[in-house]
Amino acid sequence: MKRTILVYLLRVFVASLFAMPVYWVFVIATSYHGAAYQLPPVWRPLFHWKPLVFVWTHTPWARYVFNSVFITATTIVFVVVTSAFAGYALAEIKFPGNTLYFYAMLGVMMLPQQALLVPQYVLMYHLHLLNSYAGLIIPFGASTSGIFLFRQFFLKLPVSYREVARIEGVSTLTYLRRVAIPLARPAVATTVLLTFISSWNQFQWPLIMTNSPSLQPIELALSHYMQAYQSNWRDLTSAALIALSPILIVFAFTQRHIVSAVAGGDVGQKE
Amino acid sequence: MNHIVPSHVETLEPIKPKIWQRWREPLVGYGLILPSLWIFLVFYYGPALFLLYISFFHWSIFQNRSSFVGLHNFVILFHQPIFWQSLLNTGYFVVAVVPVTTLLAIALALLLREAAGLRKGKVAQTLVFLPHVTPVVATSIIWVWIFNPNFGLANVVLHLLHLPSLLWLSSVHWALPSVMIYTIWHSLGLYTVLFLAGLATIPKHVLEAAQVDGARGWLTFRRVLWPLVSPITFFVIVLASITTMQTFSQIYTLTGGPHGGAGGPAFSTTTDSLLIYQTAFLYLHFSLASAMSLILFVLILGLTLIQKLIADRFVFYR
Repeated sequence: MKRTILVYLLRVFVASLFAMPVYWVFVIATSYHGAAYQLPPVWRPLFHWKPLVFVWTHTPWARYVFNSVFITATTIVFVVVTSAFAGYALAEIKFPGNTLYFYAMLGVMMLPQQALLVPQYVLMYHLHLLNSYAGLIIPFGASTSGIFLFRQFFLKLPVSYREVARIEGVSTLTYLRRVAIPLARPAVATTVLLTFISSWNQFQWPLIMTNSPSLQPIELALSHYMQAYQSNWRDLTSAALIALSPILIVFAFTQRHIVSAVAGGDVGQKE
Repeated sequence: MNHIVPSHVETLEPIKPKIWQRWREPLVGYGLILPSLWIFLVFYYGPALFLLYISFFHWSIFQNRSSFVGLHNFVILFHQPIFWQSLLNTGYFVVAVVPVTTLLAIALALLLREAAGLRKGKVAQTLVFLPHVTPVVATSIIWVWIFNPNFGLANVVLHLLHLPSLLWLSSVHWALPSVMIYTIWHSLGLYTVLFLAGLATIPKHVLEAAQVDGARGWLTFRRVLWPLVSPITFFVIVLASITTMQTFSQIYTLTGGPHGGAGGPAFSTTTDSLLIYQTAFLYLHFSLASAMSLILFVLILGLTLIQKLIADRFVFYR
């Protein structure tokens, strides 16, 4: 019994240790001016929303949020479509080069992203994709993990579905759109969630590939804001809260799904 | 299902398919992989090959002239003390972060796993995972505040423990460890969840058998759990090494801004990916930056291969 209580206390301690910094963003953002300089630190949120409204209205955050939403939403659509297509081809269609493509796709994960940035920048320059939405979206329009996920899912679909569709004279595209993708809803959900997180949190790519403020996604705008308002902690944390909230809200409702997706579907399936 | 298919369908089989029909299926396949294949080739494999090319040329993005200079870029690079410093910093970062992350992740997974019979484990697991999904710049802001030498939380904690306070991000010795702390906070949840998934696949009867044989606590871990999760340990070490070697965003945001240019103070946090970024995009030395990128590329690939070799020897697969 004593051991159970100890384990319980340890769990509470560890959980609060990890959640603390995120909680603190909220506390300082909604607190009074200068709360960040208090010693001992302020623990409880005061729910003052005025500073947040001030930050939102005095800097073009609406524009940055729009950029992030637009880039993220378009990327998600691209990734789901390309992943479902390629995943279906790999799982159900026999064509010469099928295996080769499978390994080529997995190989993309082995390429170290940091080492590719310089040649990628040169490529974007020559394709006239610097400073454009397209340049922030298209390179991320295909995802190895998405393709892999859909492939795994389509492998489990009964062959007879496709046989029936073929006999009825349904084209592959219609079959995918009307039967296969709707059946693969868990794969779609996982791909959407993981793409949402990685796309919303995108920072280094836009930092390098854009310099016009009107295209900046929120993370990049936040880093410029950080350099301009170095010690105005309340404004800074308010801005951080704007960037954090969508992630926190989505995570709050789908955390079990996200965690099990990341862990390869083993953790969340119990219970 | 088969009996639904009318019998006359089979009579269609003997008709020889035309060329078009024989190629119909593969063509559909190619059409379906084309969108993703195009993206992978153009934006990933293409640049990887191009990297080889520009590393051996004196080359500028704004001119069309380029000349083959062989290893010249590498010779210049090897004469730059900052290049060696960046390798050293990266090495320090990886060697410190990876073992700590791996050990903490195992410890947390053991603490949070369901077997202790507490339902609250799920909530704790979610909260430990939470930092991993947060955007790096947004959470860096609060960590810059935590690391503030005058009123930050980090020094408050040190004070409570009766330890001398530190300058954290402004100190040459503590700036990189500060970034390490942030990195561990941000990524530990991912590795913990991977270990939890590994622990969940261990069959109950194995643990029960160990218990019947009298194994308790440390012995169970050492003789049963540890060997069974060793493939995951290997995977976590590889993944963590590859990711930490390429750390960029948190170094850029935590050490930039209030402390002058990113990578400071006194280049103590200039790692290879930061140096590549600065060389290419601040100083526009594309050839030097690609030579550095190629070295990083080879290092990471080498690391993966070495770890694979070690794993083949020592990891116990079931």
